Amino acid sequence: MDLLSFVNFYLIPGIVLGAIYALGAIGITLVFGVLRFAHLAHGDMATLGAFLALALVTGLGLNPWVALPFAMAATAVIAVTLHWLFYEHLRRRSAILTVIASLGVALMLRAVVQVIWGADSQSYVGGITRPESYFGIRIKDRELWTLGATVALVIGLQLFLTFTRWGKAMRAMSDNPDLARLSGIDTRLTTALTWTIIGLLCAAAGFFLGINTELKPLMGWYMLLPMFAAAILGGVGRIEGAILGGMVIGIAEECSVLFLPAEYKSALAFVILLIMLAVRPTGLLRGKVL
Amino acid sequence: MSHTQTGGPILSVAGVSGGYGGADILHGIDMTVGPHEIVGIVGPNGAGKSTALKAIFGLVQVRGGAIRFENRDITGWAPNRIVRCGIGYVPQVDNVFREMTVAENLEMGAFLRRHGLDEALERVYTLFPDLVEKRRKAAGSLSGGQRQMVAFGRALMLDPQLLLLDEPTAGLSPRYREQIFQIVRDVRAAGVAVLLVEQHAKQALAFCDRAYVLASGRNRAEGTGPGLVADREIAQMFLGG
Amino acid sequence: MEWVGLANYAVFMAIFIGIYAILALGLNIQWGLTGLFNAGIAGFFAVGAYTSAILTGPAMDGRLGGFELPVAVGWLGAMVAAGLIAWPIGKVTLRFRSDYLAIATIGVAEIIRLIAKSEDWLTNSARGLNNLPRPFGDLDYLYSQLAYLGLVLGCLAAAYLLVEHQFRSPWGRMMRAIRDNETAAAALGKNIAYRRLQAFVFGACLMGLGGALLAHFNRSITPEGIDPMIATFLIWIMLILGGSGNNRGAILGTAVVWIIWSMSEIVTDQLPTEVAIQAKYIRMFLIGLMLQLVLRFRPEGLLPEEPTRRSGGPKSDGGGS
Repeated sequence: MDLLSFVNFYLIPGIVLGAIYALGAIGITLVFGVLRFAHLAHGDMATLGAFLALALVTGLGLNPWVALPFAMAATAVIAVTLHWLFYEHLRRRSAILTVIASLGVALMLRAVVQVIWGADSQSYVGGITRPESYFGIRIKDRELWTLGATVALVIGLQLFLTFTRWGKAMRAMSDNPDLARLSGIDTRLTTALTWTIIGLLCAAAGFFLGINTELKPLMGWYMLLPMFAAAILGGVGRIEGAILGGMVIGIAEECSVLFLPAEYKSALAFVILLIMLAVRPTGLLRGKVL
Repeated sequence: MSHTQTGGPILSVAGVSGGYGGADILHGIDMTVGPHEIVGIVGPNGAGKSTALKAIFGLVQVRGGAIRFENRDITGWAPNRIVRCGIGYVPQVDNVFREMTVAENLEMGAFLRRHGLDEALERVYTLFPDLVEKRRKAAGSLSGGQRQMVAFGRALMLDPQLLLLDEPTAGLSPRYREQIFQIVRDVRAAGVAVLLVEQHAKQALAFCDRAYVLASGRNRAEGTGPGLVADREIAQMFLGG
Repeated sequence: MEWVGLANYAVFMAIFIGIYAILALGLNIQWGLTGLFNAGIAGFFAVGAYTSAILTGPAMDGRLGGFELPVAVGWLGAMVAAGLIAWPIGKVTLRFRSDYLAIATIGVAEIIRLIAKSEDWLTNSARGLNNLPRPFGDLDYLYSQLAYLGLVLGCLAAAYLLVEHQFRSPWGRMMRAIRDNETAAAALGKNIAYRRLQAFVFGACLMGLGGALLAHFNRSITPEGIDPMIATFLIWIMLILGGSGNNRGAILGTAVVWIIWSMSEIVTDQLPTEVAIQAKYIRMFLIGLMLQLVLRFRPEGLLPEEPTRRSGGPKSDGGGS
């Protein structure tokens, strides 16, 4: 197989998938860092975001890319509400209970999607899209948009975290929650802010997955393992790590069909996860270990 | 943040009992701190010295007695309320944001400030000139002594009237220890009262204006710093001879 | 007339409750005793079911099997297989907080599901393994069921005694004392890590046994037979509602939740088909909600855990529940 075919059929899809995983992994690493638990409902929150966008597309006839920001906002609100309803009171007691609760929330979110939209596959737009060709590299418009939007979101997030007062407060909470409280940082507001960002990123990840493949109620759940593997691979609590991990896993998954049966794509993420935990639990970029 | 009438203490702890969870560690302690004093708390291990600081700052439960700061009853207040009314607290361990830069650490200390951030930064950099060139370095990468400066600086960013220090020289070499004590004097010179807990009693008492000796959660002795050092009986009983 | 039907149904329910109770006990040893969050119960369950099926089932072309070993061997094999899967997972993840175990077990369950669906030569893919032998299967319907119920109850009793013994032993009390305290656990070092692994594997074996029991009752096992997430989740809510850390609570919780679950299934089955499908997902939603409510308002469950005695000394029977 020549280089161009490899790029077109494996690398490009891998990069796109990697971008999607990166967005999800950033959210996961933020929850690990600031809130200190494994957010098992992350995938299904992405599913919800994707389907909310679908509702806007089918209900109001919006262009999917126009519906995206609204879906992101709605998911952000839902994320904060879910925290307030189901996680808040457990945080004081024990982190692992929050993890269990999040598994329950995952199930509930999935059930809601299945009840409202049914179990069949759906799409934002019908028909077949042809890829454009740039110097022999074939990439679809929506793939370019996906990559562009991902870059924009990531840059926006990094700017927020590095230069704004509340972004720094989030980093402080992730770094040393007791000291943050002692300094007068309002941890409840910071938590709400974190969930807002999580909701935004989840919806985006779900949307990008949906627009590049299709929408199914289990789509987010199947992303959960790769997203966690990416976050741990890169280093828990590190955003750059989540991005790196996401890209590695996305590209690895797409290339894995060269030597693994297609059904076992997700097995790869799992194996990478176990290897990282066994060999280097702090991840490639040396994050935290919970 | 107002000053009380001159002459009266800014902090008064009266008959305070409390502790973590079930058992009380403090059994009715009393102490006062005047507006520009350096007051020390010394005593054997497990005396409740650190717990006393935490009780003042609202980090442990107070089950009896009263704590007044600048004529306000702050007993039972949550830490972020106390920090607002002019008390800063520097814990013994984990007292910096390791992954954040020196400048960011100070900014976090000033999180509650509505304005005057730059002036506050100036004041802290004047007090700790060593930090100026390190201000873009991660706090965790600094030496022990410089990290303590960051920890102090963070607590000073809100211009507190009173600074609570929990074993500020713990784990530091003798050279840095002396440096820290000098910093405490500088802090007091800048107008801040200091209440500090120290394990190295003799060194600390040498420069404290006054000090309290605690043992088993109770007051045992009180006096001027040098006075307590000179008292052989007290040194024998409580300060490790 | 209807009495026989009712009796049959009651026995049928009791068998399911018994099997799931074994799973709940397995989870109790992992979670209630040791604080481990196993989110892949369905995986160990499936491994047990398939192992037993392969060992005892009839031969089929192009597929591993045809050993036609006695059922008891199959069930033992089920436990061993589940334990073998649990061991490496535990070894890698138990050093860390339980969050990592949760993710790893989700992964394991997923992989096992994929294998069950795709590996023709092993599991016969979607068609599943059928014609499994069932002990006392040749008897009349009611007697056959009763006999099987007896078997299940026997296994349950044995499991209960084993798990209860673990809970009450000095090791068990220590495990519970440090369960939520990671620093204490780390300070106690390697011994504790080994014991945690033991508990994890033991629990997994019980889950494998449960899988085998169900497979032989149904005489078949298919990948889609049980929705893995629902199966895993049901056991969790059974344990938490019943009272994690309390073995009688585990059994009680299983009974309560299974009865609610079955009753709701009967109700929704009466509805017209389009609504019936929605109803299945509504039931899922309600189960998820039920977990949140229990966690919020009665986290200790119906039968709370009996407190560990701090004084050491002779074992005493826990006072009340």
